Amino acid sequence: MFHLCLMLTFLTQAATGFSRLFITTPWGKKSSNVFGGYETAYAIHQWVGIIMIVGFVLHLFYLATKIRWQNLSESVFGPDSLVPTWQDAKHLRQRLGWLLGLEPPPQLDRWTYWEKFDYWAVFWGLPLLAVTGLMLMYPVAASRFMPGWFLNIAALLHTAEAILAVLYIFIVHFFIGHLRPTSFPMNEGMFAGSITLEEAVHERPAWVERLETKGEMEDVGPPPLWFRVLYFIFGYSALAFGLYILINGLVYSRYVRLH
Amino acid sequence: MSLLIRIKRHSWMMATFLTALILLPQDAPSQEEVASAIRRYKDREVSSGYYEEYEIKPRRQLPLVGVPGVSRGIFPYSPSADKIGTRSRLADSHAGIKFYERRRCDECHGEETKDIHTTRANLTCRQCHGIEPIAGINFYYSPLNPIRRHAYVCSKCHEGASASFAGYVVHEPAPGSPTTKETFPTLYYAYWLMLVLLVFTMAFFIPHTIMVGIRELLSRKRKAEHDDTDAT
Repeated sequence: MFHLCLMLTFLTQAATGFSRLFITTPWGKKSSNVFGGYETAYAIHQWVGIIMIVGFVLHLFYLATKIRWQNLSESVFGPDSLVPTWQDAKHLRQRLGWLLGLEPPPQLDRWTYWEKFDYWAVFWGLPLLAVTGLMLMYPVAASRFMPGWFLNIAALLHTAEAILAVLYIFIVHFFIGHLRPTSFPMNEGMFAGSITLEEAVHERPAWVERLETKGEMEDVGPPPLWFRVLYFIFGYSALAFGLYILINGLVYSRYVRLH
Repeated sequence: MSLLIRIKRHSWMMATFLTALILLPQDAPSQEEVASAIRRYKDREVSSGYYEEYEIKPRRQLPLVGVPGVSRGIFPYSPSADKIGTRSRLADSHAGIKFYERRRCDECHGEETKDIHTTRANLTCRQCHGIEPIAGINFYYSPLNPIRRHAYVCSKCHEGASASFAGYVVHEPAPGSPTTKETFPTLYYAYWLMLVLLVFTMAFFIPHTIMVGIRELLSRKRKAEHDDTDAT
């Protein structure tokens, strides 16, 4: 659910934010007209930003409920946690060796190092965008607590972080989620809430072994066909939308400045 | 008889006019403002707002007026006037510039016209810098003098703007340039920090992702070949 909300809000922010950033170009003008013009695109960007902040706060509460306080160390650094550990560094080294054909693939567990990277990129990126976004939304109020030139820094950080997020998500994350041979045509785990045993054994053998040892393996069956059709349409729409923004952003990149 | 007809016709016209006045919507200046590119600023100031048409030209100064004993003709009013490097304290910061009245601001201040106030809010230079003669921003009576900038300029759009708010650098320097390291170091380091982060992230993950794709393709091919061999 959090991922779905993040997906919808992120795509909206990317579209409205880029329409503002590229407003001096024909593509930017056209994009902002889709939202009813420059001012309306900005208003939507602000409101969806607020929704993202609320979502992030809710996520923090959700995390607090998931922590097993009696067994804090295992809960925070265990294999079901997204907190990076030395094991991830080891997996990264092993996987690079595998990519170069030097050693067998690592025995990955529930969360891989690239998934943890994705998670933490959002985890620090979202507060950065939130704080700088609020400063830019309420510049007069913000300048009561800090010098006005902080707004210059805020604008730069907000734009640069947004560009980084868009590039990473639309190039790396989309490829990993949709287009790499193991995931193609789509990593259904995000919507279905489960993955096939074959896929789990192939990519996350340590996780399968752990679940079998504990007797926690569940046979949930495939999701209904209508639901699969729905999320395939949704997923590929998001992919097409992301690629459209990415390609136009790259084409018109020479016309924009970070400041 | 004809007079009566004329009065009758006029009364119809009057009645139509009055009905139109009552029934039709009132004049809506906002319609014109929405169509105008400079609408965002127009309702916040007392001048016409049509800078490009009426106020872009500097004050009239006859080109043949000379300074007695110094110079004469269309060339600088003072031989040294166009050589003044720092003009930020002059009452007329463009004093003595040749053919000034025929020039546009962006001919000399091209970079300054790329800030977000110009490109996104459609402001023109004179809307902040004031009418001709444009005083240097540090001239005592300039509206852009830091002692009153927030009240005279910023607060036209940003209601409640404080002196701290006016510390926002409208004409930002290029954040990555070496001179910015001296003039605005925080901006410089923030820019390089984000650029390094972006380059490192993409430089690692793009090749990583491509290699994963290739490796998985090869593994799948090998597995298919292996399965075929097993089947035969």
